[in-house]
Amino acid sequence: MSSAVCQSEFCNQGWSEVLTHMSPYGYASFGVAFGLGLSVVGAAWGIWLTGSSLVGASVKAPRIRSKNLISVIFCEATAIYGVIMAIILANKIKKPEDTGFYLDQNWDYAGYYYAGYGMFSAGLSVGLTNIASGISVGIAGSSCAIADAQDASLFVKILIVEIFASALGIFGIIVGIIQSNACTFPIAAMEG
Amino acid sequence: MTTIAPSCGTGDLTTFNILHAFPEALVRGMRSSFLRDPEYHHLTQCESLDDARLNLTETDYSEVLADSSTMTPASLQKAAIQKLVTEFQYLRSQAVQPLSQFLDFITYEYMIENVILLLKGALSGRDINELIEQCHPLGMFKESTMRSIPTFENSAKGYMDLYQTVLVDTPVGPYFSLFLQESASHHGGDSRNVLEEVEIEIIKSSLIKYWIEDFHQFTQKLGGDTAKLMGDLLNVRADTNAINITLNSFGTPLNEPAMRSSDRKRLYPAVGHLYPAGTSMLVDVADEEELGRVLELFPQYSAIWNVHANGQGDKSIDDCFYERDVEMLELAFESQMHYAVFYAYVKLKEQEIRNLVWISECILQQQKDEINKFVPVFSFHAPWREMKPRR
Repeated sequence: MSSAVCQSEFCNQGWSEVLTHMSPYGYASFGVAFGLGLSVVGAAWGIWLTGSSLVGASVKAPRIRSKNLISVIFCEATAIYGVIMAIILANKIKKPEDTGFYLDQNWDYAGYYYAGYGMFSAGLSVGLTNIASGISVGIAGSSCAIADAQDASLFVKILIVEIFASALGIFGIIVGIIQSNACTFPIAAMEG
Repeated sequence: MTTIAPSCGTGDLTTFNILHAFPEALVRGMRSSFLRDPEYHHLTQCESLDDARLNLTETDYSEVLADSSTMTPASLQKAAIQKLVTEFQYLRSQAVQPLSQFLDFITYEYMIENVILLLKGALSGRDINELIEQCHPLGMFKESTMRSIPTFENSAKGYMDLYQTVLVDTPVGPYFSLFLQESASHHGGDSRNVLEEVEIEIIKSSLIKYWIEDFHQFTQKLGGDTAKLMGDLLNVRADTNAINITLNSFGTPLNEPAMRSSDRKRLYPAVGHLYPAGTSMLVDVADEEELGRVLELFPQYSAIWNVHANGQGDKSIDDCFYERDVEMLELAFESQMHYAVFYAYVKLKEQEIRNLVWISECILQQQKDEINKFVPVFSFHAPWREMKPRR
């Protein structure tokens, strides 16, 4: 079989090239997409989990209607984290100045790849933590609405559970911002 | 009989709310309509039914009592059942599959009761309209179906005709057909020769047995928390039936050795903690002492049986069963995202209606010392809570 393997320098060297040869711009853009998309999935999941219980519980106990919208707001916050991260990342993706067909020899390749990978993982951090946070707030919010309908003193106590669940999303965006802080796409060749 | 498979699962913690959050939140809101300890206290202090009615107008029952000017235990029961039916129909109209099938299963029990009521009424020659008035509203068939049930004769051919023309289209048709098949195979003949002398009570026990087994299989197919909780509740229900059948058969022809292994055995449900070892032992039980010995082997029933056997404080075995049932049904409200809460709501509401009827009867007959013998629902002073020592 080895005779059939292509030896020229233009040939692929295996499946690992799928990962190593993807453009950093591709990685960064997927980071934006995952960050925003997964956050919104988490927020939406949380909202329908808590919203449907809220409308059912408020049939017999109308007083809970306004207070329990806080649960929906907590879920919405996870989507906002995703939007913040996506905007920060999208602003960092810059097109290089006109370089011709190939990049310059003095191109900051290290920074180039660092930026791509960094933004991808920042997007994943935010997106995946926000899915978990959104579902968690949703289930807790659903139980909060039902419990509040029975006994008004339970609302504040269960809200504390939701606050902790919502903190998970904050962890994601903090780490995401730290990761993407040092990522800058080079737009011109380095001097010297 | 194969149970209908549910169209999909119930959904777990993360997906249950898609289809069932609204009805579940509704039924949990209805939980606050149960009478509390202070309200029961006021009711038991009443001197007359008008006082009781005044107290009830401050509870959730105010709307249903507003129409009538005076209250009797019978009218109170009717109004309370009508309230339960309205709430149940609201839930049923908001439910989708498989919750709607589950709620239908809950109504089949009342359909069976109605069919038996109509058959019994036909035997004693009562007026059909009177009978339909007495039917439980949760288990109503079409009017035409119900009017035609008493017109069939109480004979083998009559039952066969009844099944083939009327009951086969109703949801309880399969249970009736199973009953006819089993009786036919047991009597080794054509099903037309069957049921010459079968009592209506035996028909009812058989239909209920098939219903419990069918419901149990359905809930097991649903899976998840529903299967666990409903499995437990229906097991306990089946055991209660088995014990009651055995207890009620003492002193009747069903207790003769020949009948025991053939007829009584066929009435025990094929689900429950007592199945299969316990029920096979129950087949040979001839009197209360032997029944006590069999139940000693099952810790959850030996305590109940001891209360009955020792005759402590004139609490009947039915009261003990009701207490145990209420304790278990209240636990169904403890967790979310399952269907058992719907079944528990209907059963607990029934218990509350029984309590109200008991209290109003005691007030009517001026029996003040008997008035506290009811099982309160969701009460801090429930018998099982008071028995546990506070730490």
